[in-house]
Amino acid sequence: MMRRMLVLFGFELKKVLSRKKAFLFLLALNVVPIIASIGAMLAYLKMRSFGLGSIEYSVLVELVQGLFTAHMKLFAWISPFFLALVVGDIVSGEAGRGHLKTLLLTPVARWQVLLAKGAAVMVFLLIAVALGGLFLQLDLWVAHNMSRSGAVIMDARESGAILADTATGLRLLTISFMTNLTMVAYFLLTALFFETPILMAFSSLILLMAMQTYVMMAPYIAKLDAVYGRWVPWCFTRHISELTDVKTIYGVLDQSLTLSSSVIREPLIGSLGWAAAFFALALLVFHRRQILS
Amino acid sequence: MTPTEPGAPPQTRLQSAAPSQKPPAIRVAGLSKRFGRVKAVDEMAFSVPTGSVCGFLGPNGAGKTTTLRMLLGLARPDDGEMELLGTPMPSGRAETLEKTGSLVEKPSFIEQFTGFENLWWFGSLAAPLAKQRVDETLELVGLSDAAHKPFGIYSTGMKQRLGVAGAILHHPALLLLDEPTNGMDPQGRAQIRDIIRNIHDREGTTIFLSSHLLDEVQRLCDYVVIVDHGKMIRQGFVGELLNDGHETWELRLPPQEAAKAADLLKAVSHVFGVQSAPRGLEINIAHGTSHEINRALVEAGIAVSALIPREASLEETFLALTDSEPGADRS
Repeated sequence: MMRRMLVLFGFELKKVLSRKKAFLFLLALNVVPIIASIGAMLAYLKMRSFGLGSIEYSVLVELVQGLFTAHMKLFAWISPFFLALVVGDIVSGEAGRGHLKTLLLTPVARWQVLLAKGAAVMVFLLIAVALGGLFLQLDLWVAHNMSRSGAVIMDARESGAILADTATGLRLLTISFMTNLTMVAYFLLTALFFETPILMAFSSLILLMAMQTYVMMAPYIAKLDAVYGRWVPWCFTRHISELTDVKTIYGVLDQSLTLSSSVIREPLIGSLGWAAAFFALALLVFHRRQILS
Repeated sequence: MTPTEPGAPPQTRLQSAAPSQKPPAIRVAGLSKRFGRVKAVDEMAFSVPTGSVCGFLGPNGAGKTTTLRMLLGLARPDDGEMELLGTPMPSGRAETLEKTGSLVEKPSFIEQFTGFENLWWFGSLAAPLAKQRVDETLELVGLSDAAHKPFGIYSTGMKQRLGVAGAILHHPALLLLDEPTNGMDPQGRAQIRDIIRNIHDREGTTIFLSSHLLDEVQRLCDYVVIVDHGKMIRQGFVGELLNDGHETWELRLPPQEAAKAADLLKAVSHVFGVQSAPRGLEINIAHGTSHEINRALVEAGIAVSALIPREASLEETFLALTDSEPGADRS
């Protein structure tokens, strides 16, 4: 069974990564760190060759914080679109094209198929997060080199401004990866109801955006009538919103928050709980699903 | 042995159909499936003898593909029992599918993967697979030259051949094929027929084959299950199904003697039907009495130029049983 599971996982991963659009998706998801890295490298080369003038330490810290925040926010906003397309392609698309039928004519169990597909998308997500991490690490390297050079005026070091380091970046990327696991599981579930990836992606994203709009609006409209805020606890997107909130990101960057802080731990557990629930429901649906295409 | 008709309990059919004491390769009893208001399969019951090449025949919409889907665990039956190779389905699905090869409707492989890659990946899911075996199978179906081209650019016939290759990759004990020669040219059809026949002869594989091409089934199969309106209406060995104790012969004689010969033959007790044919008469007579007919005609002074046996056609039997117009589509 283990051998079959490994072959199936390899097969699913090859399918996900062999598509040309997978490469484009990885680039699009990491547009902020890629562009920032290019900019930072150019600035660093200029500084090394011709001198940069001077920059205050606090500005350098803010620049790095802004970069991480922009990446985290943009990644959280656009990753669902790409994940929906990837999951839609390997579940709905394969159901529509008949590949799922061919797969289920082999002795693999249905739970293995869904698990392998989920794992393949997780690896895709991990590559996307790691790629962003690599470019962000490059930015951090440039920032730290600059801070050690004479070009940086140590204005605020005494006031406690801390330049983010690799460990801090890894914490943020872990949050980014974990919150997106919920998305993967959500899309795996919704994909089982469609046989066209585009239709699946649009439908699930409309539902997701509607939920997110409600989460954002609920604090305000609940002031009119408390009943409008009643369903907020049942919206899984609220955990993702809390984890990718600017205050939380800044808290991790200035090292006042760690993964075990309740502000992060609680929504993280909630988010992973939703992921587990979606996946369990997807297994149940897939077990009962008839393959008629 | 007489072909089985509906009405008898499934077990009785099973016993009557089996050529030996071996358990049947496929046993289906009381199988039902409904899609909304439409009853696609209705109390279907049949069995396929182990080691046979069985044709699964029925008009469009008769429930053949739905039955195959249920047999392979792709669709859930509403009611009934199924066994493949003695193992109940769908509970013994994994165990059974390790020994079963199948092709249901059109072959669906990954378009951006080559034929070789598709066979290797899908094949490795059933059991560890040597690349040499993939090469051998591709050669067997005549796809060696296209082995490393993407499946997406394959022609319909090539896709169909790759589907057959995928089904036979692991030397299955049971092969379930749904319209395996669909969309293929005559040469391709002949090649697939040869492959199926070879596998059966060489490895003793039981083959369950759904097809619309009745001449193909007649050439390939020794056993048939005929279904209509979701029910099994007849099953049995082809020879027995076609042999109703009568024989049809074409009697060639001079046109001016046709009327005289027809009058004479109508009076003979072994003759059940006489009708005119383009070059003489077509007669339906009792089995093994052709020599007596010939003697009666010669003794009456009728110059018989030829007496030619006409092989009984599965198509005629099929049309009579299903009450279908050729090409009729009920789906």
